[in-house]
Amino acid sequence: MKKIFIKGIKGGTGATSIVANLACALRKSDEDVIAIDLDPKSDLGLHFGLSWEHTSGWSNYLSFESALDEFHIDDDGVIFLPFGTLSASTQRTQKTIESVQQLEINDSAWLLFDCPSHQDIQNYNLSSHDIVLEVINCDAICHSLIYRRLLQLNQSPKKWQHYFLVNNYNSACELESDLLQVWQSETPLLAPVHVNKDEVVKESTAFRNVAVNCAPFSVAHDDFETLASWLVTRAADND
Amino acid sequence: MTKRHNKVSLTEKLFTAILSLFFTKKIVRFILFKFHSYFNHHKVSAIGAMLMPFILLFTSLFLKLDNSNKKRLKNKLKHLYPHVSEPISTPANIIRVLLQSIYLAIFQVSTKHQPPETAIKKSTKLISKIVRFVRLIDKKLTRLFKKLWLKLRIGSKNQSYQRVRRATIWNSKLLKITLYFTIAFTVFVFITVPFSLEAQAIYISLILIVAYSLRRVKGQIATITMITLSVTTSTRYLWWRYTDTLNWGDPLALALGMGLLLAETYAWLVLILGFFQTINPLQRKPIPMDGDTAKWPTVDIYIPTYNEPLSVVKPTAIAAQSIDWPADKLNIYILDDGKRPEFAQLAKEIGVGYLDRPDNSHAKAGNMNHAMEYTDGEYIAIFDCDHIPARSFLQMTMGQFMADEKVCLVQTPHHFFSADPFERNLDNHRKIPNENMLFYGLIQDGNDMWDATFFCGSCAVLKRKALDDIGGFAVETVTEDAHTALRMQREGYKTAYINIPQAAGLATDSLSAHVGQRIRWARGMAQIFRLDNPLLGKGLSLVQRLCYINAMLHFLSGIPRIVFLTAPLALIYFNAYIIYAPFFAIFLYIVPTLMQVKITNSRVQGKYRYSFWGEVYESVLAWYILKPTTVALINPNKGKFNVTEKGGLNDTARYDWLISKPYIVLLLINVIGMCYAIFRLLFGDVSQIGVLLISMIWVSYNIIILGAAVAVAAEAKQVRSSHRIKANFPAAIRLENGRTIKVKITDYSDSGVGIETISEHPCRENDKVELLMSRGKKQFSFPTFICNTRKTQIGLTLRDLDLAKQKAFIQCTFSRADAWIDWQENFKHDRPSYSFKHVFITSLRGFTNLIYHAPSQFKPFIILMANIINFVVSLLPKKPIKYYNQYD
Repeated sequence: MKKIFIKGIKGGTGATSIVANLACALRKSDEDVIAIDLDPKSDLGLHFGLSWEHTSGWSNYLSFESALDEFHIDDDGVIFLPFGTLSASTQRTQKTIESVQQLEINDSAWLLFDCPSHQDIQNYNLSSHDIVLEVINCDAICHSLIYRRLLQLNQSPKKWQHYFLVNNYNSACELESDLLQVWQSETPLLAPVHVNKDEVVKESTAFRNVAVNCAPFSVAHDDFETLASWLVTRAADND
Repeated sequence: MTKRHNKVSLTEKLFTAILSLFFTKKIVRFILFKFHSYFNHHKVSAIGAMLMPFILLFTSLFLKLDNSNKKRLKNKLKHLYPHVSEPISTPANIIRVLLQSIYLAIFQVSTKHQPPETAIKKSTKLISKIVRFVRLIDKKLTRLFKKLWLKLRIGSKNQSYQRVRRATIWNSKLLKITLYFTIAFTVFVFITVPFSLEAQAIYISLILIVAYSLRRVKGQIATITMITLSVTTSTRYLWWRYTDTLNWGDPLALALGMGLLLAETYAWLVLILGFFQTINPLQRKPIPMDGDTAKWPTVDIYIPTYNEPLSVVKPTAIAAQSIDWPADKLNIYILDDGKRPEFAQLAKEIGVGYLDRPDNSHAKAGNMNHAMEYTDGEYIAIFDCDHIPARSFLQMTMGQFMADEKVCLVQTPHHFFSADPFERNLDNHRKIPNENMLFYGLIQDGNDMWDATFFCGSCAVLKRKALDDIGGFAVETVTEDAHTALRMQREGYKTAYINIPQAAGLATDSLSAHVGQRIRWARGMAQIFRLDNPLLGKGLSLVQRLCYINAMLHFLSGIPRIVFLTAPLALIYFNAYIIYAPFFAIFLYIVPTLMQVKITNSRVQGKYRYSFWGEVYESVLAWYILKPTTVALINPNKGKFNVTEKGGLNDTARYDWLISKPYIVLLLINVIGMCYAIFRLLFGDVSQIGVLLISMIWVSYNIIILGAAVAVAAEAKQVRSSHRIKANFPAAIRLENGRTIKVKITDYSDSGVGIETISEHPCRENDKVELLMSRGKKQFSFPTFICNTRKTQIGLTLRDLDLAKQKAFIQCTFSRADAWIDWQENFKHDRPSYSFKHVFITSLRGFTNLIYHAPSQFKPFIILMANIINFVVSLLPKKPIKYYNQYD
């Protein structure tokens, strides 16, 4: 199974919508996809059409085994697990990650984890086959944060594959275009794909759906497909 | 008045009295009534009106003329005589009625509408049967030959064949010489042995069948076989012409005949050299550069300009900056002979070098020589200021220099994104290969095989060291490019050609400018021929000399072309037998030889030049290059060339009478000759019918070619100021509401883009949208306005882009590596019969153009002629009108 951890470098970078759209894009090419919400905000389910009244998730159960009923499946066939209303310690989160891997699932299935931006990836005990996508926006804060993260990654040897993924990129904006160019030329670990700013991502959540479904002729649709196929090749390299 | 009335009534009374002697009172009244109605109402002449009632009475003896019958009869007559007008009794109508009656009597035509299977179909059935039969035979023959050919090829893989092939005996020099000698002897025999007419017929038809059947067989060997056959037959033809067909008895015929024979010899020479030049095009592939950019050499890019507007030079300079090459090793210079301050300003703004000089000596060559003193790049790339380079230009070309240090020049094709005058005025842009394509598609590749690639002045890279060795660009002639390459080749340097368009420019705007440019080339080539004859001098290999000679001969085509366009008139006007041979001999030698040459040429050049178009292009230029080449040949330093101004926009369609004068004169001579020939055919000596017919066929062919040449001079309206370039690559737009739609770019110009969406779009005119395009990893956004929309198509205009955005736009469009890649793919292989049809239609268009654009003093004459023709045509019998009878 292929594990992708998606996490914003800070809050509000759009990591959750990337998880939802990516899951859908992968599902469209007949992959088995399981999306796990590790974020106490517990909003991943909303992207998949889960009702707002439904609040419970894995954190509401004492053990992962008893939370199996909380797995949902959306119209496209994406299986997802909401977080719930309680808080969870890093250890608890780590345990959930491990438990998910114990499930009897297809070897070629994808596990997408929507990680909270405030938790340190380091604590998850990742292997060298795991891919971490750290979602960034093109602004000066992220620019600083990237270098802070790079420094941190250099100091403690990482085991996993780390990438920075640009989201909400608007090439009409001079700063964003300049920053991306700088990163493309000198930042290591920058993913070769980026997701363009697109209103349809926002609009499709109003339809309780994802952009990949709602706007097949949009740039966002293409971006998520490119992202998915890039991840497929990355995962193939691992095997 | 009353008196007169009395008089009339008196005659009438008398008339009535006479009539009442013969007829009853009722009939007399009828006659008078009819007379009045015909005379007063229908305005028939008095005699006619008097006769008509009697005719009616007479017919009523046989036919029952009651009202309904009369109506039916009238109707029937109207259908049978559709073109007979009212009043009936005019002389013209009498002729019409007569002719139509004969027509109706001879041919069975009915006015009833019949289902389509009728006589018409029967007659066409036979034709289509014949056509089908011919096609079937053609198909069978071609297939048979393909099979035979394949068998031969497979046979060559046999073991025994291989053993024979590998035998050491082939290396023996003596055997080789004997073999060559035998071949030469056989060819000599085939060319020179005089045949009887029957033998010639069999011989030529055999060769023709082989050539005809081989034309669809793929492969180089088949081409070479066809070329060999063509060379043999055409040489045999020429031998026959020299030995058998000169009329020594008649000095006039001898002189004219010699002229034609010389022209034919020229055509033969060009044909043989052309075959030789293109027998095996090299189609060189680019060599990739070494990965280590530190080892890459420095390159200067020169953009020479003289009087071109800033808007033309700017995209070129920006695109040159975007060429993929280490920035510290790439220097761009605008070489401005116009010394314009705004160009210096532009260069500073976008960050390229600017060089001007105190004088303008030696034009472009002098300009570049001057620039060489102030720059120091190891290689020099040259772009005419309107040639926008693609980013991959240096990647495609520089590898050749790295692989072989003797290479001094790498040339790429000149590609034009706008229609040249031929294409525009004949409206066949991207439908028929243009004049350039033969040279850049085939001949340069052929030249490359013999290491004789020409330098064409733009879109090329040169090695500075080689230029230094020959003392810079050659300044002695007006075609400095070809001369420079020739000199470098004399020094032992090699040249290369890469047939991948890596830059594109604007074609000449008008026919006069186009002709002006060709005159310059022709003059320059003639100058080189005199000053630095490639046949003489040292340093060149024999094949290089031949390639250069062919190029120069090509520009000497003026006189021979005019000779061909007038030769058949010698017989018609002066009764001069310029080909002094029996009618059948002429027929058996000329027609098959010509056919064979055409078939072979069509095979060799098919993708780059369609049959018969070469004649059209040549005929347009013939008169104009005749004088400058002749002058330059006699005195290479004499004669000043005037720069033809580029016209820019043609806001109205007009006819260039000045430039088409020579062809109109030639056309008139030919048309009058044709009329005279018809006259001679009808009233002249019976024994001359054969030769007259051959001459007439030739004249008609010339008239068709000249008609097409005339058609080119009708300058079509040029609507857009910036040319739209067809494209097909993905992009996206972002609407004002933030949504994005992915689109396909279908065309672009320097100020607008045409896009196509996948499904219907919500955009309206004047909406502001952002156009997102990428170049490599980088994505750019351009603010645009929607100027027009259709279902899935949107036209965008770019407004007020700043310099950075302009740069980005050019990088995303014009300088894309694949921007000009598909230029040769659009053309199918030539099919001579279709091509002829097309030339013929073009020719008809030329004639209508002539009439349409005729100057006002000719208008009355043309109207008169048109009326006469209309009148004569109206006399001819017409097909009766068909009608449906519902009760049948």
